[in-house]
Amino acid sequence: MTSAAAYMLYLVFALGGVGLYLLLPKAGVRQTFAGAIIGLLAVVGLILVLATQIIGPGSSAGFFYLFAVVAVLAAARVITHPKPVYSAVYFVLVVVAVTALLVLMNAEFLAVALLIIYAGAILVTYLFVIMLAQQSGSPVYDRRSREPFWAVLAGFVLMAAVAGRAGDLPPSVADASESATATAQSDQPGNTSAIGAIIMTKHIVALEVAGVLLLISMIGALAMVRKELPVETLEPPPKPLGQIGREVQPF
Amino acid sequence: MIEFLTSQLGVSIILTVCVLGALLGAVAYCIYFERKISAWIQDRFGPNRVGPRGLLQPIADGAKFLLKEDVIPGHVDKPLFVLAPASIFLVAFIGFAAIPWGGQLQLGDNLVNIQVANPDIGLLYILGVASMGVYGIVLGGWASNNKYSIYGAIRATASMLSYEIPMGLCILVIVLTMGTLRLEQITVLQTGSWLGFIPQWNIFLHPLAFIILFITALAEANRTPFDMPEAEQELVGGYHTEYSALKFGMFFLGEYAHMITASALMAVLFFGGWHLPWIPWTQADAHQWYAVLAKILVISGKIAGFIFLMMWLRWTLPRFRFDRLLWLAWQRLIPATLGLFVLAVILVYTGNHQSPLWALGGNAVILVIMLASGAMARREVTGRQGNLPRTLPADTRGFVGSPSS
Repeated sequence: MTSAAAYMLYLVFALGGVGLYLLLPKAGVRQTFAGAIIGLLAVVGLILVLATQIIGPGSSAGFFYLFAVVAVLAAARVITHPKPVYSAVYFVLVVVAVTALLVLMNAEFLAVALLIIYAGAILVTYLFVIMLAQQSGSPVYDRRSREPFWAVLAGFVLMAAVAGRAGDLPPSVADASESATATAQSDQPGNTSAIGAIIMTKHIVALEVAGVLLLISMIGALAMVRKELPVETLEPPPKPLGQIGREVQPF
Repeated sequence: MIEFLTSQLGVSIILTVCVLGALLGAVAYCIYFERKISAWIQDRFGPNRVGPRGLLQPIADGAKFLLKEDVIPGHVDKPLFVLAPASIFLVAFIGFAAIPWGGQLQLGDNLVNIQVANPDIGLLYILGVASMGVYGIVLGGWASNNKYSIYGAIRATASMLSYEIPMGLCILVIVLTMGTLRLEQITVLQTGSWLGFIPQWNIFLHPLAFIILFITALAEANRTPFDMPEAEQELVGGYHTEYSALKFGMFFLGEYAHMITASALMAVLFFGGWHLPWIPWTQADAHQWYAVLAKILVISGKIAGFIFLMMWLRWTLPRFRFDRLLWLAWQRLIPATLGLFVLAVILVYTGNHQSPLWALGGNAVILVIMLASGAMARREVTGRQGNLPRTLPADTRGFVGSPSS
C-alpha cells in the first residue's frame, strides 16, 4: 500500500470518528443529521479508497462492498441507538453481514460457527436479559454513552493502526471471493475437516484451555445463583395424611 | 441458453423457484390436513364446505388472511412488530436450500445435483438458519408490549435455547457416524443394505438419537406437547396475541415450514433421504429423469409421514408444564445425548461405527441406564403426586385419606 493510500485511509477514519461522535447519544443537543451526513461521507470515502487504492478497480467484489457497508452501518447503529433492544437487533445484523463476508472469503465453517454461536445463542441471551430487565423504560445509563469523545478517539486510533497495514495482507478480497466461487462449484472437500485437523493437532492445548475456562465459568455461574438455605427449610413441612392438593380434603 | 439451463446454477435457480412454490402450497395444505386429522381423531368431519371434501379450504383461508384488516395496535413498537413475522417467515423458508431432494440428474453432458446448494457445511447451514428462528418469536413477543406476549417470548427463548443442545448432540452422533457434513453424501452413504434386505439407514444404528431428535424437533417447532409459548388456555396466543391478518398468517405458515424443514432433516439423517430400499437402480438408470422423480416422491413421502406423526401427537398428548419441559431437556435429554455422543465416539474409535450390532447394543445400554436412573430418582411426575405423602403407612395402602387418621 502506498503512503498516499494510507493517508487517505487516515483521513476517512478521522471523518468517520467525527460523524460517530456527533451521532453518539450524549447529554445536551445531538447533531444526528450532521453526524449521519458526515458518517455516510466517511463510508463512501472508505469505499472509494478501497476500490481505487487497495483492492484495485474492475474487480468482482460487489458482494464484499454490499455486506461490508451493511456491517459498518449496523455496527454504528449498535452504539448510537438509544434503545437497547434495537442495539441487540443491529448486533444480529452485524453478525449476519460478517457471516456473509466470511463466506465470500471461503471460510464457510467459521461463518456458520459465528452464526450459530453469536446470532443463535449469545445474542438471544442478550435479548432475553434486556427484555426481562426493561419492562418500563430504560434508565439514563442505557440511553447515553458515558465518555463518547474518548471512546471514539481510542476506537478510531486503534482502527487506523490496524488498517495502516491492510494492504500488506497476502490475499486481496477480490482473489478470495473468486477462489470461493471456484471451490463452491467444484466438489472438493472444504475447509471444515482441515480446520478440525488443525485444531485437534496444532492447537489442542488452546482448545483444552478454552474448554476448561468455559467449565470454570459455568461452575462459577452456578455457585453465584445458588441461594444458601437453612437446613430445616430443605425438607417440605409434612402434610396431614390424605390431603390432596393444597386445601382439598377427600371424603 | 440451453447450456445455462443444464448447468448447476441454472438447475439451482429453477429448483429454488419450484421448491418455494411447492413449499408454500404444502404449508397451506398442512393446515388443511391438521384440521382434517384433528377432526378424525375427535370423531368430527372437519372442513368440508369449500370445494370437494373441503379441498379448497386453504385457498379460502389464504384469501381471508389477505383481505382482513391488518391491525397494528397503538401501543406496540412498530418497526420490530413488522420485522418479527417477516424474519420468522424468511428463516423458515431459506433452510431448504441444503436439502437434497433427488440425487443427481443427467442433463446432456452434465450431472447436476437436485439440490439448490451443496455446500461443505450443509448440515451446519440448516442448524445455523434454524437457530435464527427464535428471533421472530422473541421480537414479536417483546414488540407487542403485552404481558401475555412477553411471557410467550420468554418461554420460547428458554425452551428453544435448551432444546438446541440435545438436538445438536443428536446430529453430532450422525455426523460422527457418517464422517461428513454434506447432506447429499450422508444420503448416499445410507443407500446400502444389511443382509440384503435391511436398508442401511441410520435409524437402525442409533434409534435413540432419532427419538430424541424427534422430541427436540417438536420443541423447536413449538408443537404440542411443547407449545408453551402459545399456550392458548394460559397466554391467549402467546407471542402472536396482537397479530392479525397476513402477519399472523406469516407466523402460522412459518411454524408449518419449520415442521417441514425438521421432517426433511430427519428423513435425510435417519431414513436415507431419497433412498427407496429394495429397488436396485442400475448405473444407467440412476440419473435418469424417472429415477429422480421417484426419489423426489420418496423423500416427500417420508416428510409427509413425519408431519402426520407430529399432527397425530399434537391431537393426542396434553401439554407439558413449563418447568417440566426444561427439566426434561436439562436433566434427561442432555445426559442421554451426551451418553450417545460418547458411544458414537467409542464406536468410531474402535472402527465399529457402521455395525448395527454394536451400535444397537450401546443404545440399549444407554436406554437401560436412562430408565433405571429415572426409576431410582422416584420423582413425582404430576403436580398431584407432589402433594401426596411420599410413603404411606401400611394400613392405609390403597385407601388414601381414610377418615380414621
